[in-house]
Amino acid sequence: MTPETLAALALWGTVVGVDLVTFPQGLLSRPLVAALVAGLIAGDPEAGVVLGVALELFALDVLPVGAARYPDYGPAAVAAVTVLTQRPWPQALGYAVALGLALAALGGWTLVWLRHANGRTVQRYAAGLAAGNPRTIALVQWRGVVRDVARSFALTVVGLALALAVREAVPAGAHPGLVTAVAVGTGLAAAAGGAVRNAGRGARLRWLGGGVLLGMLLVILR
Amino acid sequence: MTGAVRAFFRLLVVQGAWNYERMTGIGLGYAAEPMLEDLKEADPARHAEASVRAAEYFNSHPYLAGVALGALVRAEYDGVPGAQISRLRAALCSPLGALGDQLFWAGLVPAAMAIGILGAVLGYPFPVLLAVLVGYNLVRLATGVWALRVGLASGIRVAAALAGSWVQRLVGPMGAAAGFLVGLALPLAGAWLFAPARPVEVAAGLGAMLLGLGGGWRLGARLPTLRFALAALGLAAVVSWVAP
Repeated sequence: MTPETLAALALWGTVVGVDLVTFPQGLLSRPLVAALVAGLIAGDPEAGVVLGVALELFALDVLPVGAARYPDYGPAAVAAVTVLTQRPWPQALGYAVALGLALAALGGWTLVWLRHANGRTVQRYAAGLAAGNPRTIALVQWRGVVRDVARSFALTVVGLALALAVREAVPAGAHPGLVTAVAVGTGLAAAAGGAVRNAGRGARLRWLGGGVLLGMLLVILR
Repeated sequence: MTGAVRAFFRLLVVQGAWNYERMTGIGLGYAAEPMLEDLKEADPARHAEASVRAAEYFNSHPYLAGVALGALVRAEYDGVPGAQISRLRAALCSPLGALGDQLFWAGLVPAAMAIGILGAVLGYPFPVLLAVLVGYNLVRLATGVWALRVGLASGIRVAAALAGSWVQRLVGPMGAAAGFLVGLALPLAGAWLFAPARPVEVAAGLGAMLLGLGGGWRLGARLPTLRFALAALGLAAVVSWVAP
């Protein structure tokens, strides 16, 4: 992978990391979108699509509500794509997903750090905020934005470094597809669990059941 | 009152300084400033008080924060007592948060991503995802414009305007659509990703799925999905390496 490609991936990872909470919250941080564009950048769109679908299954389990700590799948998906590029995905997808999940969890912790750091800035400028000084409000706001840019960039760079190491270390075991199959299975469990939890017990649950039945019928007919 | 356009763009970064003390309060105060500028000349003391109030604790769904912003700024210009404005601000947090979470995070986002997955599985990942991205962001921006307008038009009576709005009416149908689309996407995505696997690997994958569903149902928050998946993947990696 060329330095130019890695730089472009780092830039894209920063964009999707900032999209999650700060700006513009326009679905760029969803793993399907983040990985697909990363695959294009890395010259292997299929790798991006496959990894995006696999990680999206896990992301469908997450409700990014308020103060909760939730995984940051965007930079994780961008980094994990590099494990998969230019190699057969049935053998390497499981390892890419594992790395993506670990990085997403790490990203969740960095979000908590970011919130605490923003809180410290609020305390530092408490006098200006108490006086209603517009410049102080803008300063605190933009420090938060810049901090999130730095967080997303650092997370992506760390992720890319780990991904390149994992890429070299992926073992060629007797059952290389086993890890991939388990990644798909656990992803389906995550997405289904999230869907059932969101559905509750009302009409939405019936619509969910109807969708699953139709999907299974289509799988059988295809 | 001027500055609504600038306020709208500033609302796009309303969570920029999110923190545990004021949550999105700083972002709301930052977005309010362009609309409070006229108050600075008319009543400087009121402007200072309004700026302080605007940046106090606040939390809601980011797409609907404009409802609160518009209502609070309008109330400042209407000369509503400060204590009443603070009460309105506190009262809007939960309904705006719950409405937005249900409509967007638990409705439109899963529905959009399920369409994206279906597009990928059916062989059209790029055009489908591009259409999803454009459509979603148009809805998101239109919602932001509507939110600010309804807040500015309603002021202190914003709760009544919100109660009869399309946001409230759309929560149920959007939830049903999301449920159906996610349900439809899951078997197709599973079949697509399992397609190259050998039968023994598919069996292991389905076993992991059933274990994950059962564990999630029985243990809930005590066994987060991510931890379960990482443990299962670690075990699978060891087995794949040592198994004959």
